Amino acid sequence: MKRRLRIPNLGGARAMILHRPHPVVQALSRQLEAIGLEVECHWPDLPGAAIGADYIFFDADLGHDEQFPWQPGTAPMPLVALVGSEAPGRIEWLINIGADAQILKPVGDSGAYSALLIARSAFEARNALAAEIADLKGRLDKRQVVVQAVAVLAARGKSEDESYAMLRQLAMAWRVSFEIAAERIVAGARPGGAEDAHG
Amino acid sequence: MKRRIDLGLLYSRSGSYSLISEACRTGAMTAIAEINADPAMDVAFVAVERDPQGNIDLYAPLCEEILRDSSARHVVGCVTSWSRKEVIPALERCGGSLWYSVPYEGFEASDRVVYTHACPNQHLLPLLSWTFGAYGRRGYLTGSNYIWGWEMNRLAREVMAAAGGEVLGERYLPLGSTEVGRMIEEIEVTRPDFVLNQLIGPSQYAFLAAFRELGRRDPHFRPGTCPILSCNLTECELPAIGAEAAEGLVAAGPWFRGAGGWPHPGSFGSSHEAASHATVWRLARLLHGRAGAETLPLAQLLDTPVNAELGIDTRTHHVSLPVLIAQVQDGAFRVVKREGPLAGDPYLARGREIPAAPHLRAVT
Repeated sequence: MKRRLRIPNLGGARAMILHRPHPVVQALSRQLEAIGLEVECHWPDLPGAAIGADYIFFDADLGHDEQFPWQPGTAPMPLVALVGSEAPGRIEWLINIGADAQILKPVGDSGAYSALLIARSAFEARNALAAEIADLKGRLDKRQVVVQAVAVLAARGKSEDESYAMLRQLAMAWRVSFEIAAERIVAGARPGGAEDAHG
Repeated sequence: MKRRIDLGLLYSRSGSYSLISEACRTGAMTAIAEINADPAMDVAFVAVERDPQGNIDLYAPLCEEILRDSSARHVVGCVTSWSRKEVIPALERCGGSLWYSVPYEGFEASDRVVYTHACPNQHLLPLLSWTFGAYGRRGYLTGSNYIWGWEMNRLAREVMAAAGGEVLGERYLPLGSTEVGRMIEEIEVTRPDFVLNQLIGPSQYAFLAAFRELGRRDPHFRPGTCPILSCNLTECELPAIGAEAAEGLVAAGPWFRGAGGWPHPGSFGSSHEAASHATVWRLARLLHGRAGAETLPLAQLLDTPVNAELGIDTRTHHVSLPVLIAQVQDGAFRVVKREGPLAGDPYLARGREIPAAPHLRAVT
């Protein structure tokens, strides 16, 4: 699938660099500031306020999970790994921490802008997919309720197809999802249920 | 006693964009002659010239040759963005700096380059804003097949979409190609309010001639209803375009010949010439009275009170420039809109929205 890149507005965006004092930090800061970002450098740990940053650049060579104020893989912003050592263990760690893009060290005159765009795009795509998967999972979990609701409606003398169509109409009338409508119908059919209250 | 300082010049004296390149070289050479003759300046430049002849693969090796075989640390040159991107690694390897004095598409801020001409917030965005108000928002995009055209048109597409405009077509020609027939056919069928021209050299000249023919057959395609817009067109190319095809062309740029605000007193043939002239003078002023400053990295070279007058941003290495929009009338550019000066904003950090000017064209 071809995606048209949405260019984020980076003017005034906040970047944090998690790396020990080093020429890498200067070179990267220069690039980010030229692009228009505000840059903060931290070492050895990110502060809790990191949660408000728009981008995090982190050292993949000396990095470990405890430097981040969140669980691995759950960063609320795009992460960019600063990679020196390409040892498999380090690559495995940066993947698990949730890097969306990388820049190879030594950092020179370029690389930050493409990393920002790629990381933002990957981060958004990942979030969109996660939301879609959660939604689909929720609907899968409710398959049984839908079957029960159709059975409740069919028990009043309708065919299966008619029951299904009726369930769809009720969902539309109540302005809820198909699955929530099914839950209400099943709840209302139970002894003491209040199906009529929804009419 | 003047300090003699080697200064690299990397301009193609032949090839498809040689008119622009020659204009830039002339401006640089004029500035060198003036500086060398100026008793108030303690520097004299010795030009170390290399000619890549419009061949993209010669830029990096020749730039390296200048930096290796002479004591030059500063090179003035390059016209296309492609060549500029080619030489940056050579500059990094050899510790040199490039002074780039032509308009470009933005999204770059090398620590090794000073960008002394306009980027999109200083040419494309004001040009589109003016055009939307004066002609409409339905455009056709053309370009030569390399980064300048691609990126300028990508940005134009984005800006037009955000302003409720419409891109009716987008087509590219290889550098040097004059096969403009298909572009002209598409333009004739889609009848845009304007054509954005990012073609260069002979492709551009062939296109403008064919568009003039189209205007003869169909009055919609005349400058009053469907102008051609450029962000890098100056006086130096008008003779190659020809008086008739040039009439009515619209261009954005910091200076136009005859309009007020030339960067330095002088009778230049074109604003490309004026721009490279101003660029060499900027460098001379930064070096004046600072023995050994020519070997400083750019960050330190620019870190002086003199730079406050020169207006080179120490973060982005871009400059503040006036924004003029001009139209060719009777063979010369006449300014139709003037604003600024505006600081160069290569990454559009200050936004890319353009004022939604009302569409004022009279319905006839």
